Amino acid sequence: MIEYLIDGPLWYFSLAVFSVGVLWQLARILFSASKTDLSVARGSASSGALRNVFSRFIPHHEIAPRIRVQVIAGYMFHLGLFALLFFAAPHVLFLEQNLLGFGWTPMPHWAFIVASQFAFFGLLILWLRRMLNSVSRLISTLDDHVAAILTFVVMLTGCLALLKGFTELRLLHRFTVELLLIYFPFSCLMHTFTFIPSRAFTGAWFGRRGIDA
Amino acid sequence: MVEFFKKHSLGSTILLLAALLLLIFLLLPQAASAAAPQQHKDFPQGVSAANPGSDLWREIRQRDLPVEGITQVQGVDSGVLINSQGDRWARFRIDNPVSYTPAILLAVIAIIVLFYALRGKVGIEGGLSGRMVKRFTDYERVVHWTLAIVFLFLAITGLVLLLGRTLLIPLFGHHVFSLLASASKEGHNLFGPIFLVSLIMMLLSFARRNIYEKGDLTWLLKGGGFIGKGHVSGGFFNMGEKSWYWIVILVGLAISVSGLILVSPNLGQGRVIMAISHVVHVFGAIVLIAISLGHMYMGSIGTEGSMEAMKSGYVDINWVEAHHDRWARQVKENDEILSAEEFARLHGRKPESPDTATGKS
Repeated sequence: MIEYLIDGPLWYFSLAVFSVGVLWQLARILFSASKTDLSVARGSASSGALRNVFSRFIPHHEIAPRIRVQVIAGYMFHLGLFALLFFAAPHVLFLEQNLLGFGWTPMPHWAFIVASQFAFFGLLILWLRRMLNSVSRLISTLDDHVAAILTFVVMLTGCLALLKGFTELRLLHRFTVELLLIYFPFSCLMHTFTFIPSRAFTGAWFGRRGIDA
Repeated sequence: MVEFFKKHSLGSTILLLAALLLLIFLLLPQAASAAAPQQHKDFPQGVSAANPGSDLWREIRQRDLPVEGITQVQGVDSGVLINSQGDRWARFRIDNPVSYTPAILLAVIAIIVLFYALRGKVGIEGGLSGRMVKRFTDYERVVHWTLAIVFLFLAITGLVLLLGRTLLIPLFGHHVFSLLASASKEGHNLFGPIFLVSLIMMLLSFARRNIYEKGDLTWLLKGGGFIGKGHVSGGFFNMGEKSWYWIVILVGLAISVSGLILVSPNLGQGRVIMAISHVVHVFGAIVLIAISLGHMYMGSIGTEGSMEAMKSGYVDINWVEAHHDRWARQVKENDEILSAEEFARLHGRKPESPDTATGKS
């Protein structure tokens, strides 16, 4: 019964909530009313947007020494998670068989282990710093903590089910993935889809005004 | 054969083959029965059959000759027919770590409970003042808690793997244990290297302040103040903390290296190296888990004001004077003490009066 629920209705429900929720959030941002900028342009908005999208991958040199831990841990976590999500053999197979109909070459097992260690280590450090730094703790919301813990739990259940010998462990992982999919559109996890448009918007605004930032 | 088919008709050939097949089917059960080992006199129902190769292999195992022979097969231990070390290691594992670990851990917990019952929380003379001194940076606390969380995860999964057969199977049955063991093995192997990296970060962050100083031996001889009378002097870290630090680093490194040897069986190490690594890994882990229980107790409910050091990074000046008087003199000389208001403002808290800080109402 539980197996049927997790593999069947709950999976499709979570996928639907995720898809509709993400599209709705993106549309909401895209069509939100904003005032027309009547000022005389001092520079190119497009080049400003493009520059900002890429320049923000590297921290500004004035603050870089103070946020070195967050930057390194941030890259470790995000790159590790990206590799796990799209290049772990079980995920490639699952996407091929259940969603896309085609697959690609997965990463070898040792790379999977290294990627997951990067992801776990990075996320753990980022969350601990959020908890232990007084300013970060003050500006953190419940959503930040729930998102971090839920992501950690999803990764953990996935790695615990790595041996693929037990249906229970696979179901546990899939259930936590479904929870994450349902939570995703209504949380800070939406930054997965919004961080590029957000940078581009800010960069365009700066570029139009000739601000070199 | 060709001549045979030329001389005889197809019908007579088929007849001959059929007769041959019939003969085989009639004789096969008889032959199988004859080949079957005789029933052992201790097992009249025939539930067990002696292995005809047992005597041969026993002779090989017990022969008075070098264990390793010569073979063209290349590989570690490929010239060894039977390695009795494996049996001895399995017996050692069952007789020692598996048997003694629950008793050791329960004894440590009992000592802590008894200590708390007799001594209670180690307080500070005059209570907490509310005036704070910075003890650890954000990074140092992140390193500490990363190591602590990974260590706890490894301890739990490691204990499941070590004691699961004896403790968990009777409680939950074989299926649940095998599920837990599978998950624990994957998790343990995955987080092991993270422990090593955290340990190296811990080594680099704290090593300089944990080097032996004059006065540390006195602290040790007086048992941190529990033996004899009078105050025991301590610097930024007292000798108890330094000892724990070096135990974590050295035993942790031993556990990590032995763990990497165990998790990489194809690197060319033989069975003996693997068995030794397993023993080092298990005993090192038991030592760390046992002492960490005491560390957790002393750092939280056992000593007034200690937990704040790893929560906010600050400690009360009265706590510093009680446990680290030499460091207290330094912070006073350097004027590093924050008022309760300043500390509260830095941490977005409401200022605490000395009474609320000490827990008095």
